[in-house]
Amino acid sequence: MSRNLPAGRTVSAIAFSAVAALTLAGCGSSGAAASGPGASSAASAMYTWISNENDRSQWQSFIDAAKKTDPGFNLTLEGPSFPDYWTKVKTREASPGAPCIITTQGARAQELKDLLAPLDDLAKKNNIDPSKYNQAMIQGMTVDGKLRAIPYDAAPFVLYYNKDLFQAAGLKYPTENYTRAQFISDAKALTKNGVYGLSLPPQFVNGPAPALAFADGHYPVKDGNLDITNPDFVKDVQFTFDLVNKEHVAQAPQASDVVDVSQQQFMSGQAAMTFGGPWMYQTFTTKTKGTVGVAVIPSTSGNPISMIQGSGFGIAASCQDKEAAFANIMKITTADVIGAVGAGHGNVPTLQAAMKAWAGTKPAADVSTIETLLKNGKPLQTTKNWNQVETLFTQYSVEGFRGTKSAETILNSVANSAK
Amino acid sequence: MIVLPEVNSEAMPAAPAAAPERIQGRAQGRLAALYLAPGMLGFLIFIIIPLVSSLAISLYKWPLFGDPEFVGFDNYASLFSSDPVFWTVLGNTLVFAVCYTVLNLGISLGLATWLHHIGKWGPFFRVLFFIPVVTPMTANALVWRLMLSDNGVVNSGLAGVGIHGPSWLSDSNLAMASLIAMSLWQGIGYNIFVLGAGLSNISPGLLEAATIDGAGPWQRFYRIVFPMLSPTLFFCTVMTIIGSFKVFTQPYLLTLGGPGESTNTIVLYLYRNGFSFDKMGYASSLAWILFVIVMLITALQFSQQKRWVNYDN
Repeated sequence: MSRNLPAGRTVSAIAFSAVAALTLAGCGSSGAAASGPGASSAASAMYTWISNENDRSQWQSFIDAAKKTDPGFNLTLEGPSFPDYWTKVKTREASPGAPCIITTQGARAQELKDLLAPLDDLAKKNNIDPSKYNQAMIQGMTVDGKLRAIPYDAAPFVLYYNKDLFQAAGLKYPTENYTRAQFISDAKALTKNGVYGLSLPPQFVNGPAPALAFADGHYPVKDGNLDITNPDFVKDVQFTFDLVNKEHVAQAPQASDVVDVSQQQFMSGQAAMTFGGPWMYQTFTTKTKGTVGVAVIPSTSGNPISMIQGSGFGIAASCQDKEAAFANIMKITTADVIGAVGAGHGNVPTLQAAMKAWAGTKPAADVSTIETLLKNGKPLQTTKNWNQVETLFTQYSVEGFRGTKSAETILNSVANSAK
Repeated sequence: MIVLPEVNSEAMPAAPAAAPERIQGRAQGRLAALYLAPGMLGFLIFIIIPLVSSLAISLYKWPLFGDPEFVGFDNYASLFSSDPVFWTVLGNTLVFAVCYTVLNLGISLGLATWLHHIGKWGPFFRVLFFIPVVTPMTANALVWRLMLSDNGVVNSGLAGVGIHGPSWLSDSNLAMASLIAMSLWQGIGYNIFVLGAGLSNISPGLLEAATIDGAGPWQRFYRIVFPMLSPTLFFCTVMTIIGSFKVFTQPYLLTLGGPGESTNTIVLYLYRNGFSFDKMGYASSLAWILFVIVMLITALQFSQQKRWVNYDN
């Protein structure tokens, strides 16, 4: 009897352990993990930034457009917001069952180099002709002489402005030779009755600082090295900070403000101008209180030069079915698909063949502005530790916007920490 | 008449009686091991292996992708000798831990005592104070970010009475205080609950007797309530200090560690180094320094508890 009882308990314990192990296994597994990186489902999955409904709808429009030629085509999407993407993509791709297709910006290809498989052989095999793409984008997507992603857009940074607010203030719309002096004068005239001339995010690349510096021919990276402490670039960043603390034409952002905060200020009519990429075109033109126009980035001389930082699709180096993943990328980067996405969302196509579809749905003045910027655009080139630069600038810039620290101090701190 | 044979107890065979007990003991041991197995396995997989791995990684320069390079104690040496941010985040974490712990325990004890004496409304307020504890920290932080923004509810309220509110999250002199305030709002409910339970265990008879003997409210608190509550208070102190050293979500969501480095904490800096700056080895060395600091402080607390914790009921 006494020996039977432990035996019964043993059976119970084994059963309990089995149930616990199965429960743990069940809780730990997911569809994605079960499929494994080499499975075909991974080749049909994309890890990308999905900050909001605008992003999700943009990615979905790639899928919908591809379905027109291949009804069976599908691509699953997952990913965090844009600022979190650059942190999370590395750990996601280091984990089992990671999606094979990764989105990257041209400028960030350098940073994601170890994550992205070289695509030259696959591109050659699929008759991809790099000369048909915007050359600034091909340059941005090429790291160590190897192509790391197929670009879909070539996005010159632009200045969005609210035409209704300009009209109400008795101002002329910005021209394609918009100067900084005129920009400041307009912003001051627009700042009244609780409305600011400009809305600003605290971020670096998605903020105004590099865009304004590019317009004057000053760049944050020189010969592959961080060059944010050169006096010209510092002066441009100080000009940006002064828009808040000296000119008082914008509200100081908070470090934790996501880009959406400044976008919401613009869309709600609380700010008359904002900087942004063409990927926001559809959202701004349809959701802003007032009619929206597109202008060049103001420069001291009035020469329109823009920072080009479009995006593309790459393949994870760990992907076991790169051919299948590339075949999927091919389906979402045809001229028809890119043209359809550009027509619906505003992304400026990187393929010349798709420009007509993109331009067809937009006012001639906006098309002309963006074409001018494309012609005069320079690719944003970054360093391998760009995410650190971006993070630190956001963290430090708040004091610059409030005037408690100078651009020189802040950029020196960022450069020292990012060594 | 039945004559019973004389029994020689010394000659009694002991083994047959003890054998089943030993067998039963062994069987129970195996059973215990089986029951413990899932927990021990989890402890091994999720605690011991990561701990040892982290120690090993701290000796490498490892950018997550790419080959790790063995650098010995260079990561530790860099932290102490050439990284000014480390000392800043260490200082910030200490300031947060001290201010948060002192304020949390003081406010919790005050509120727990008040709730203990207000009768039927006590449970209602206890639940009210506990709600922030059970709501997700992320949601709380986002709400506080909106409230403390330049045009948020707090400054709008101040504007209503003619005061121009400051930049709570963007002024380096106020940002840490704002984080502490938010953390207190989130955290005091737990200690109120635990201290409330401790207060309930104090016999009302003792306090009545002390009152009859002429003890005033302060004497009753100092001579009876505090000693009897000291084990609970000790538990709350240890847990609050450990928690405060691990502060992450508040600076991450409210200030990103800024302005400048004014609200950057060890865990946020660790996270950034590991996942944003691709310095896994450096991040691991930070994790070990945090581990050692927390262990030392906890050990110190345990060694000093005899001075003020009364376990004699």
